[in-house]
Amino acid sequence: MSGQPRRILLIDDEPIVVDSCLAILEETEHEVAFASSGAAGLDMARAFEPDLVFVDLKMPGMSGLEVLEALRSQDPTIVCIVFTGFATIAAAVEAMQHGAYDFLAKPFTPDDFRSMIRRGLTQRDLLVERAALLREREALRENFAAIVSHELRSPLAAVQQNLFVTIAELDGVVSEDQKRRLERMSSRVGELLALVNRWLRGFSTDVAPLRESFRPVAISGPVANAVESAQTEAVRKAIEIVSQVDPSAVVLGDGGALTEAVLNVVGNAVKYSRQGGRVSVSAVRRDGKVAISVADSGVGIPAADLPWIFDAFYRGQAGASGVAGVGIGLALTRRIVEAHGGCITAASDPGRGSVFVIELPALKTPVPGPGVAPPEQVSKGEAA
Amino acid sequence: MSERRKVLIVDDDPDFVAGIRAILDREYDTVVAYNPKDGWDALKKDRYDLLCLDIMMGRGAEGVMMARKIRRDKELRNMPVLIITGLREQIAFLFPGQAVHPGFVPVDELMEKPVEPDLLLQKAAALIGASEARQGR
Repeated sequence: MSGQPRRILLIDDEPIVVDSCLAILEETEHEVAFASSGAAGLDMARAFEPDLVFVDLKMPGMSGLEVLEALRSQDPTIVCIVFTGFATIAAAVEAMQHGAYDFLAKPFTPDDFRSMIRRGLTQRDLLVERAALLREREALRENFAAIVSHELRSPLAAVQQNLFVTIAELDGVVSEDQKRRLERMSSRVGELLALVNRWLRGFSTDVAPLRESFRPVAISGPVANAVESAQTEAVRKAIEIVSQVDPSAVVLGDGGALTEAVLNVVGNAVKYSRQGGRVSVSAVRRDGKVAISVADSGVGIPAADLPWIFDAFYRGQAGASGVAGVGIGLALTRRIVEAHGGCITAASDPGRGSVFVIELPALKTPVPGPGVAPPEQVSKGEAA
Repeated sequence: MSERRKVLIVDDDPDFVAGIRAILDREYDTVVAYNPKDGWDALKKDRYDLLCLDIMMGRGAEGVMMARKIRRDKELRNMPVLIITGLREQIAFLFPGQAVHPGFVPVDELMEKPVEPDLLLQKAAALIGASEARQGR
């Protein structure tokens, strides 16, 4: 066998099987450990950190299947192969369904065993490599903001900085027309910077630490703030936002983040509504949950797109206003909602509108007192 | 105004430096260092009234190291430091779990690139003024 020595663990209660395997393994350069019961094998696996484990399915005490599951939860890249008697091929298949890589029926020849070791170790290499790639991809995703920020944002910032100063320096020197063109350049670069910032914020916002600052929040506050923020655009399009909020709907969370989450949904509803349309926002307590629902009568979402709308970079077709999103808002909303232990769903009737529902675990009885935030005053968001 | 105050800019992006230097030149004598080492040498050689420091230089946050080094230095610790950086989130990434605020490193002010010329001059004047008031000048 080639390559560096690997660690192989045998778990079998039959001494004759263990002995014959050990005899074969002695010819190799691999490190070997063995145990005669499932529990002992698991103990050993923690310290020994095997690449490959052979485990007997039928043992007194802990069964082979239980051992398999425990091993996989310890390290999913450990390759497990089960030993089984001819009578229990069905059990071996079941074991493979539980994550065993393969099975070896007893009795087996030394060549069978060697060949299984080779295949098992190859599989181990593949799994380890795959896990490393996944980790790398995850790290890339997490560090995306920092990477893109330097590569993409720095040149834009430098251009904008020089436009700022050039425009100021050329004041009175260039014609009004030339000045206007320079200002347009600066304004377009500014839009591009704002776009990059929104993307980066969507990606890099680490919502997990929010939990440390969770406190009781009356949902009327975030809803009212979100509705108010969406009003500018709504008024421009003559869209009426009506909202009805149960004042007893209280959740444990972060008011600012919840405002952001609701605003993204309400903002979308306005964006994809037709001129003169109507957006309804409601928040109710039901079944131990607070459900915030945002309904519009806008262009709707094609059924084929519905499964993807909460993924980063999905963006709807240009709304009635001709403005398309950047594809971050709903992804960020979902992350915020999930950080609050909730979920967000959407339903849509293309051409007739969409309904988004954010469900959050309700705080049972909001007892006013020290340490509990008084429900914030409901502003104009509440229905008349 | 009496003598012109001196500002040191430490940033590894020459184009960006050109863009802020032209602004600061209106009111200050500016000196530029394009890496933290030259910046440190300049600080040791001359006295400056303000340091404009970039965070992301070299292989990472070398600007942060420099700001910390300045605050440990008896002679330099009273000099105001204005950090001009990319996204605030960049700082959140570098210092996970910490508040996204200039307080992460002992500097006096943090601004995002690009900076409005008037705002930059305002901040610079305010920082220099406050520092001189503290030292009774």
